[in-house]
Parts: sequence; structure tokens; C-alpha cells
Amino acid sequence: MQAAVRLFLLSLVILTVGAAPVFSADPDANPKRIDMLGKISDHNYLDFKPAGKIELPRILRHDGQWIFYSSTTAALNSGDGWTDEYYIAHPDTVIYKEDGATIAPVSYELVRADGTKPSFDASITSHLVWFAISGFLVLLIFGRLASKYNTTSRDGLVARGTFMNLFESLVIFVRDDIAKANIGEEKYMKYAPYLLSAFFMILFMNLFGLMPWGVTSTADVMITAVLALFTFSITQLAGSREYWKHVFMMPGVPKLMLIIITPVEILGLFTKPFALTVRLFANMVSGKLLVYSIIGMIFLFAEMFGDWAGIGSAAIWVPFTLFIYAIKIFASFLQAYIFTMFSALFIGLAAADHDHEHEHQHAH
Amino acid sequence: MEYAYLAAGLGAGLSMIGAGIGIGIIGRSAMEGTARQPEASGDIRTSMIISAGLIEGATFFALAICILLAIK
Repeated sequence: MQAAVRLFLLSLVILTVGAAPVFSADPDANPKRIDMLGKISDHNYLDFKPAGKIELPRILRHDGQWIFYSSTTAALNSGDGWTDEYYIAHPDTVIYKEDGATIAPVSYELVRADGTKPSFDASITSHLVWFAISGFLVLLIFGRLASKYNTTSRDGLVARGTFMNLFESLVIFVRDDIAKANIGEEKYMKYAPYLLSAFFMILFMNLFGLMPWGVTSTADVMITAVLALFTFSITQLAGSREYWKHVFMMPGVPKLMLIIITPVEILGLFTKPFALTVRLFANMVSGKLLVYSIIGMIFLFAEMFGDWAGIGSAAIWVPFTLFIYAIKIFASFLQAYIFTMFSALFIGLAAADHDHEHEHQHAH
Repeated sequence: MEYAYLAAGLGAGLSMIGAGIGIGIIGRSAMEGTARQPEASGDIRTSMIISAGLIEGATFFALAICILLAIK
């Protein structure tokens, strides 16, 4: 046990001393380097590593018009003047273009020959594809679930079989422990559909990231920002008179203090969805980076002490990775729960009306 | 310019100390509360997660500033 701790501390020291060459930013400096940021960033293709890649359509806006290509390769070979950024950075790369052969994309960054990028890139990316797959899966599963309640269980709403029981327990959990607990008895049914959709979409996106070849869509700040934007809009639409009064005219506060309190309250409207965005994004990115960092230790050891040290140390790093992986499965559920619970909390605070107001005044 | 990186690293570390202390205190109080009143454990857990999430949110603002310093 003590030896294991010592080895772990030693490896941390080595990581700080020796990480520079392996994790260097320049791809030409070290061909063995691990492209960690490339693993978590968005791509214009779906990577099925040994089998190949599926290129996704490119939708670009250039010179005031929309251009559509079925793939990056199609864009390069269309003769519209697009080049891959890699070929501009490395002009001596030989591009074979004989009969049948095509130019292959390397960096997937489409630029003109003079290096200018398209003015707007609305291409379909891997994160978007998995986002859409999660959305369709939610529609499919819960559409089917709802119809099953109408057909199979005639004697009231009783769940039958694995499929119904599995999802019913989760749906009841979200409805009772998240929606009802935070929004209140009378109003929760209005917001439960949004909370259920958000919970299951985030859960599916998180879990897809743990699958082989899967991409964690929630590790993209734009996706989490869109989800938080929905919560923000619904919170504002749910806002009661009291809610807006608390924002602009906090009751029970001296008039002079309102000069300070009102801007802070208005700022507070926007910091809530911002915190939602960053919380989900940062948790998913850090989980993914942690897995790659620990797996990367094998290559680090191979770099520092030779290949056999790398192979031998894999006996430590692979169980470590599995442990982090188990935590990530837990975190997938936890982050979906936290996002949904905070959404429900914000909606509940905004939707609370007179009863809450009376309590408030009694407390003063 | 290189001081910006130093500031970013120190800032990230300091904000983590603050968040760690805060979430630690919440965890301690929640455990004490649950031990005294096991029947209220559900409510205590919910309030614990809410307060931990609010601290986390404030920490993310500090980290966002650190990231801005580091990538500027």
C-alpha cells in the first residue's frame, strides 16, 4: 500500500518535470504526443477509429451566400477554391490528384488559398449529431412509454416489464423529488415536461460520452449554454408579479439602497444561467480530461523510461482509469440531476406568488 | 505578461481553497444534521446540494477570470 502511494507521488513529480515534451503544442515537435484537447473538442467528422471516419456536411457562408457541401472532402474537391488549412501551413505537402484520387482533409479547417476563413461556419459537427441523437432518443423512448401506459395497463397506471419500470422510477424521481419539491404542488405539472426532457437529454448526452466512439456533447460550452438559455427563458416567462417586484423594487428595503440592490438583482438574473452553463460544461470536460491524463501516464512512462516501463505501469493506470470511469458514470447522473434541480429551483423561485409573499412579510 | 500566468495559477488555487473549505463545512454540517435527525436526511441532502452548487457557481466565476488571464 505504502509502495503504491510512493509510486503515485513519484509519478506526480515526474509528470510535472517531464510533461512538457509529451504534451507539447506543436505536432511536429513530437509525433508521439497526445492530442488531449483534440479529444474533447468539436469535429466535422464522427471518428470510428479503426474503421474510419464519417464526414459531416459543411454549411458555410462566404461572400454573402450560403454554400452547402455533403462533406469536407467534397468541399475540397468542388473546385470552389477551398483548401485545408494544413496544406497552407505545410506548402511542400504533395497533393495527389490523379484520376479518381481526391484531396483528403487533414485539419478539417476550410480556408481560401490566401488563408481567410469563411465568414460564418454553420457546419454540422459531432457534438451536434450526438445532441440530436439524444433528443430523438428521448422522443422515441418517452413517446413509446406514454403509449404503453395507454395500451398495456388498462387497470390504472401500472408499470409492466423492465422497460416501463426502469424509466418510471426515473420519471417519478424527477417529478416528485425535483419538480414537486422545488416548484410546489399547484404549479409543478406545467414545468415537469421541460424538466424531464432536460434531465433525460443531459443524462443521455453524458452517458453517450462514455461509450466507445461516443462524444460528450455536454463538454461543449455552446450546448450547455443553449440548455441554460431554455431554463432562463422559462424562468422569465414563469415569473410572477412578486418576482419582478423583487427584482426591480425589493420590498422592505430603504429607497436609497435600491440604487445598489436593483443592478445586483438584474445581474443575478444572468449569473444564474451562466453558472448552470459553466457547471455542466466544466464538470464534463474535467472528467474527460482526467481519463485522458491518467491513460496518458502510460505514454509518459514509455517516453521517460522506455517502452517496457510504459507497459508495466499500465497495470496501475488502467485500474485508475476504470475507477475514474465509474465516478464519471455517477457524475453523469449527478450533473443531470443538479442541472435539472437548479432549473426547477429557479423556476420555483420565479413562479412563487402570494403565499410566499405573506410568509416573507411575517419573517420581517 | 508572464505574471498573468502566475496570477491565473495562484487565483485558481486560491479560489479552490475557498470552495473546498466552504463545501467541506457544508458536508460536515449535513453529516451532523443527518446523524442527529436521520429522518430528515432527504431534505438535508437537497439543501446540501443546493448550497454546494451555489458555492460551485461562485467558484466558476473566479475560475473564468483565471482562464481569461491565462488565455489573454
